[in-house]
Amino acid sequence: MTDIAVHRPGLRSWAAMLTCELKMVVRDTAGLIVPIGLPMLILVMNASAAGDEVVANGRTALDVHVLPLVFTMVVATTGIVNMPSFLAYYRRSGILRRLAVTPASPAMVLVAQVTVGVLQTGLGIAAAWLLAMVAFGAKPPVNAGAAIGVLALSTATMYAVGMIVAALAPTPNSAVAIGLALFFALGALGGMFGGRGSLPDVVASVGAWLPFGASVQAMSATWVGAPVPPAHLIGLAVSLLLGGVVAAACFRWD
Amino acid sequence: MPGTSLAVEADGLHKRYRSKVAVDEVSLAIPTGEIFGILGRNGAGKTTTVELVAGLRRPDRGTVRVLGLDARRDRARLRQLLGVQLQESHLHAALTVAELVHLYGTFYRDPLDSGELIESVGLTGSRDVRFQNLSGGQQQRLSIALALVGRPRVVILDELTTGLDPQARRQMWSTVERLRDGGVTVLLVSHAMEEVERLCDRVALLDAGRVVALDSPSGLVRRAGFAQRVTFLAAEPLPEGLLEGLDEVERVRADGGRVVVEGRGDLLQAVSVALVRAGVVVTETRGERATLDDAFVALTGRRLDTDRHDDGLRDEGRHDDEKEALR
Repeated sequence: MTDIAVHRPGLRSWAAMLTCELKMVVRDTAGLIVPIGLPMLILVMNASAAGDEVVANGRTALDVHVLPLVFTMVVATTGIVNMPSFLAYYRRSGILRRLAVTPASPAMVLVAQVTVGVLQTGLGIAAAWLLAMVAFGAKPPVNAGAAIGVLALSTATMYAVGMIVAALAPTPNSAVAIGLALFFALGALGGMFGGRGSLPDVVASVGAWLPFGASVQAMSATWVGAPVPPAHLIGLAVSLLLGGVVAAACFRWD
Repeated sequence: MPGTSLAVEADGLHKRYRSKVAVDEVSLAIPTGEIFGILGRNGAGKTTTVELVAGLRRPDRGTVRVLGLDARRDRARLRQLLGVQLQESHLHAALTVAELVHLYGTFYRDPLDSGELIESVGLTGSRDVRFQNLSGGQQQRLSIALALVGRPRVVILDELTTGLDPQARRQMWSTVERLRDGGVTVLLVSHAMEEVERLCDRVALLDAGRVVALDSPSGLVRRAGFAQRVTFLAAEPLPEGLLEGLDEVERVRADGGRVVVEGRGDLLQAVSVALVRAGVVVTETRGERATLDDAFVALTGRRLDTDRHDDGLRDEGRHDDEKEALR
């Protein structure tokens, strides 16, 4: 009776879990509209005016201000709104409880969830980027490597913030509500509605440290080819760390 | 190693939720290949007991070994060998029957063929239907299929046939009997007497978190204190000692015109003949054998079925432990 070896689900199982997760995301059509549709809408609304106004290094206001905002929105909606609502659904629905009596580990759900989120983000960014280039003549960032680095850091940070939402929200509905509220609050402080110039100075400088504003401004700097101000990177890193700590301390699987 | 022929060995289990003791000194020893029933009213601690056996909860005191493995410490190894159907089981709502069976199959080393498994629970016609669009009975059958997909050696079935129609219920019973034929040990939580009498080799009767009796179904029935019962309505009082003198009769109770006679042997025949000879006119004569239900009343002083689970209760979305804790 003691000859029973531990058998963990293999690659096939991870692939199946990922496939199922993808199918669920695709079948939840409403969940796709926010991270992909909303940023595209913002892009289209701002692109034609911003496309003509050159800022520096041949980059227009579209490249320097609108695209970083749009990309940040894609990352933020996936990380702060979608991921926590899926996790809260999992937790609340009893699916995790059911999985707990199988050899599958909750980590499989989390990894599949994050992978699908990253794919969604990639899709949203690719769609927005394609639209911006083809329809509005957008140009790539002067400092492309740094832009990718900032995007990666922003993604991680938004997920960490999302984990705080997932850890604190008691129900799936409240996860969506808290996630959306947080997204709009961070977005507003970060210049999502009409630019930071219209915000009071104090609010604007606080917003520049918070994940949304920090992401937009850091990405903006890479687009014109300017050095990225460390304040933004520090802001992102602090939020990332904070999210990780809160999630580790408060997140419960059931 | 002692005790290895036991599939499940629970020793002095105790579990408390806030102020409510859900499981109180429960000990079970279930040999390999047995179908073991856990019977009791709502809130008697049935679900908590099987959750402790499944390693889903940590007992406050006591130990559980399943196939010689500690239910909590050796969970990782045990998961391959243990199939569990939870009472309130929710699955990915947007995935289909076939997708879920495939997904759960990949968790195990040597899963059953998903097509055959789906067929065996009668879901072939619904294999491409999403979980959220299945009927309650179909969801239940899928849940049972997922408990079996990994070829488990011990299966826990919590409320196996709740919400199933009679035909599906019989189909599930044959499935369980086939499991036993294959040497699988089954732990069956139920409050359906018929199910327990038909399937179980032995039954533990739980009341208020304690095992109040543990026996074969027929052994439990004997504890009802009588084998048979005859009831009738008499138009006039019976002559003194008319029935009490019969060999078959053990006890006579009269409540107004309604008379209840308990005894053994050919009780109905003996009572009828005596009444006719004495010229007593009776109506609504009924003879019945003692059932597990009677045994339950005799052992706990309450009926089992007065507080029956129904789907409405199951769908409230609260965990059984919370219900138990509130009780």
